[in-house]
Amino acid sequence: MRGMKRTLTVCPYCGTGCTFYLVSDNGRLVGLEPSTTHPVSRGGLCVKGWNAFAFVHHPDRLTTPLIRRDGVLQPASWDEALDLVVEKLRDIQKRHGADAVMFASSAKATNEENYLLMKLARAVFGTNNIDHCARLCHSSTVTGLAETLGSGAMTNSISCFDQADAILVIGSNTTEQHPLIGSRILNAVRNGTRLIVADNRRIRLARHADLHLRHKNGSDVALLNGIMHVIIAEGLEDRTFIATRTENFAALAEAVADWSPERTAAATGLEAGEIIAAARLFAAAERGMIVYSMGITQHSHGVDNVRCVAALALLTGNVGRPGTGVNPLRGQNNVQGGCDMGALPDVYSGYQKVSDPLMREKFVGSWGVADLPASPGLPLTRAMDAASAGHLQAMFIMGENPMLSDPDQGHARNVLENLELLVVQDIFLTETAALADIVLPAACYAEKEGTFTNTERRVQRLRKAVEPPGEARADWEIICDLAERAGYGGMRYAGPGEVMEEIARLTPSYGGISYDRLDPHGLQWPCPDRDHPGTPVLHLERFTRGLGRFSPVVHRLPAELPDDRYPLVLTTGRSYFHWHTGTMTRRTHLLEREEPCSFIELHPDDAARIGVRNRDQLLVTSRRGEVRTEARVTTMVIPGVVFMPFHFVEGAANALTNNVLDPESSIPEFKVCAVRVEKLP
Amino acid sequence: MKLLTPDMLDQFFATIAQTWELRLPILLPDGTRVIGSPDDGPLALHGGAVLSKPTAAFFPQQGTVFTADNGDLQEPPPPERPLFVLGFTPRDLACLRFIDRFFADGLCDDIYFRQRRGAIVAGLSGYCGPNGALLPPAGGDCDLELFWEGSFWLVIPYSEAGRGIVAELPSAPRSAGKLLKEASSRPPDENESLIQRASDLLRADRVPDSFWEEIGDRCIACTGCNLACPTCTCFGVQDWRSAKKVERSRMWDSCQLDGFMREAGGHNPLGSEALRTRRRIHHKLAADPQKWGEISCFVCGRCDAVCPTGIGIFAVAREMVARFG
Repeated sequence: MRGMKRTLTVCPYCGTGCTFYLVSDNGRLVGLEPSTTHPVSRGGLCVKGWNAFAFVHHPDRLTTPLIRRDGVLQPASWDEALDLVVEKLRDIQKRHGADAVMFASSAKATNEENYLLMKLARAVFGTNNIDHCARLCHSSTVTGLAETLGSGAMTNSISCFDQADAILVIGSNTTEQHPLIGSRILNAVRNGTRLIVADNRRIRLARHADLHLRHKNGSDVALLNGIMHVIIAEGLEDRTFIATRTENFAALAEAVADWSPERTAAATGLEAGEIIAAARLFAAAERGMIVYSMGITQHSHGVDNVRCVAALALLTGNVGRPGTGVNPLRGQNNVQGGCDMGALPDVYSGYQKVSDPLMREKFVGSWGVADLPASPGLPLTRAMDAASAGHLQAMFIMGENPMLSDPDQGHARNVLENLELLVVQDIFLTETAALADIVLPAACYAEKEGTFTNTERRVQRLRKAVEPPGEARADWEIICDLAERAGYGGMRYAGPGEVMEEIARLTPSYGGISYDRLDPHGLQWPCPDRDHPGTPVLHLERFTRGLGRFSPVVHRLPAELPDDRYPLVLTTGRSYFHWHTGTMTRRTHLLEREEPCSFIELHPDDAARIGVRNRDQLLVTSRRGEVRTEARVTTMVIPGVVFMPFHFVEGAANALTNNVLDPESSIPEFKVCAVRVEKLP
Repeated sequence: MKLLTPDMLDQFFATIAQTWELRLPILLPDGTRVIGSPDDGPLALHGGAVLSKPTAAFFPQQGTVFTADNGDLQEPPPPERPLFVLGFTPRDLACLRFIDRFFADGLCDDIYFRQRRGAIVAGLSGYCGPNGALLPPAGGDCDLELFWEGSFWLVIPYSEAGRGIVAELPSAPRSAGKLLKEASSRPPDENESLIQRASDLLRADRVPDSFWEEIGDRCIACTGCNLACPTCTCFGVQDWRSAKKVERSRMWDSCQLDGFMREAGGHNPLGSEALRTRRRIHHKLAADPQKWGEISCFVCGRCDAVCPTGIGIFAVAREMVARFG
């Protein structure tokens, strides 16, 4: 690749889906330039986007397959490594059954790769044990919105943020985690949109909000029930919408009848007046939009939280119009796509259930296999427990790093170390890959073709700008090679475009998606046929499930609350400058310089009580483990609550978190556990 | 002065490409215009300044400083062929002149001049701005300038190399000189006087800290203002180490980042968004005039175009002048 070249592609970080041109010179990336025409990024990018080229040629990149021999990972050929993977998986399945194997797909990988790994697990290895990190972020959304609206995706488009009269942001630090969406909210506020932020951290959006509700961690159901109580009590609900578009309103009205502002205030730690003001402000908006993220979903009652969010939108008639909607912001660049492609234990692509005989028949026919497993497989978060109980012997992990991203790190390490076989396919030797028996080196986003689906359901082209390092190969090529070696001839493709043709044939919502239609700015699903222009706003005339359903819920407390031994609430999340387990951003100079070490935010009152000053070294202990970290004394958090990002291996927040799961979505309660903080000498 | 009709452009650039590596304004597949390789898209001379800074041709976002391979120190070689870069608007040329001075000052930045020396810089002006708006001729600061008259390009060489490149072209009609003169006499630019007034306010210390707190509150630290600015020259340095090799490279840095000024002990003289935002504007409008004798914002508008939250230098200057002017 001689000379200078510009390659239009999609940012590999968050789900906003900004696009830019990678600039390469003689086969090396030398920078990037934003797309000036893209409807989402509009010529801008965030700091991670501007630096998204910088890790690609890092010397730590994996360049050759590795096989553990005599306890040490040693270079091997692709033939050796892939044959060994197939041989060992087959052997384990022979001895322990098909479901002794778990596949972890990746929200960082393309749609095509997620589809292919799903197909590999089901068609070639005969198991529904496939999942990915959506389990850890929006599984509550997929469950909760499917039940209430019929579709577990963002109802509206990013452009709708410019049209809302009022925006309620609950549990989303939007300017840091979806910066090009957060900036739209800031701009909307300057243009007169009213803003309510419900999040007890004093995030940037809170500084611009009309109302900042700093409710207790885990009291979202109480807060939303209280707001709905006021709306109904004051007659502010949208009666026409409720009558014509929804069902089960009476049950909701009954469930929130007890949530007087006073009772809500007691449960949330807010003033009654704040709850009344929020209810009136939101209900008064002609176009009211709700935006949420992990602050809603990552709870042992995450699905209940989502049900309440959906109910508030239905109650005020704020679904199915521009500038409104229930808008879960998807975290990863392709977590929407990972779900759409069926990298989930219970569904094929397009959320077609594996338990439905008609669906199985369709996929059996198309994939040319004798049969497909009927019962749903294991969610990722339950796989760890299944392994420690002896029900799971092997894991194949593509582009995920559960050693840092899963709750209760000690438990995760114990499980991963004791598996009979751990295969990890990744771009760097992550903390998880370091434990593997076999490591497969993958191409990164800049080195392959495919599509990503952003948070507003926009399917966009990813393009190859440079060659992968050494012998690294694109994930889709590795998966197809594995299928071939396992004796399956149904995964031979000329390229990812041909995989998308198969996806479109089998997936109604992607029916009209094909590469020749995706330039320049992609298509938003549902896009059922080749003439369909895509769908910016869902549920226009009717909900995907017919009528919108009110699903009233009972307020439940988080699983672990502070006590004398562990007096503080720990809530976890991310910083602006790093991405998840830091595999890429911690190898990006400017980002790592900005946020070089693990830290914990604690309120000045708590700091004074413990005798801690800014930048002191602290020991943070929970019932699961302890970590060392640095004090950041700040009014960003409220007294009694501390915050840690989970990016850092040295001071890993997930050594502390509680692996208690939502009973319906199996999402862990990352947002609340109890800790003790001590100053280190 | 010479003349180029649109149908002559292909041949003109093909001739130049025999000696120089071409960088021309091109249209990319999604409608974005950049200064890039003609292999990447059709020529797009009309539309005014491109969003990405044209000075990136000489000072790329990331570039190697040296590699030390088993003790053998190697600097990156100069380009095989010198660059011919077309697409600098008159304002962009002022930016280039400024950073040429900066990089030549004191210890000359040899990495920059390895690309810059021998390169041909070609300006673009005339009625080829956004929607046909007039870009007044630069009248210098480059080797040659292409001025769109409405149906053909006037080509004005300024340097020896420029004269050599255009020698074979037909001469421009006699009326061309008058035309250029008319285009040069223009009313004062609104943004230019805005920036001047903002500079005056800053230098008179008329802008309170509370203003910068408000602006800083709206900054999401994307760093786009710095990375799009043709006169921003700050860079960070990193070393990539493997078994026997060290590769040192440098990349565009941003004074909107906390790490930009943070000291090893943790103290940061620019430890808040307000201070950093103040510094960014202050540097261009108050500090550089003292050091270099001119405001180092040449009113190109790129920071306003890339800023997701509307606090580019025009927007900030407008608020500043409205409130304190």
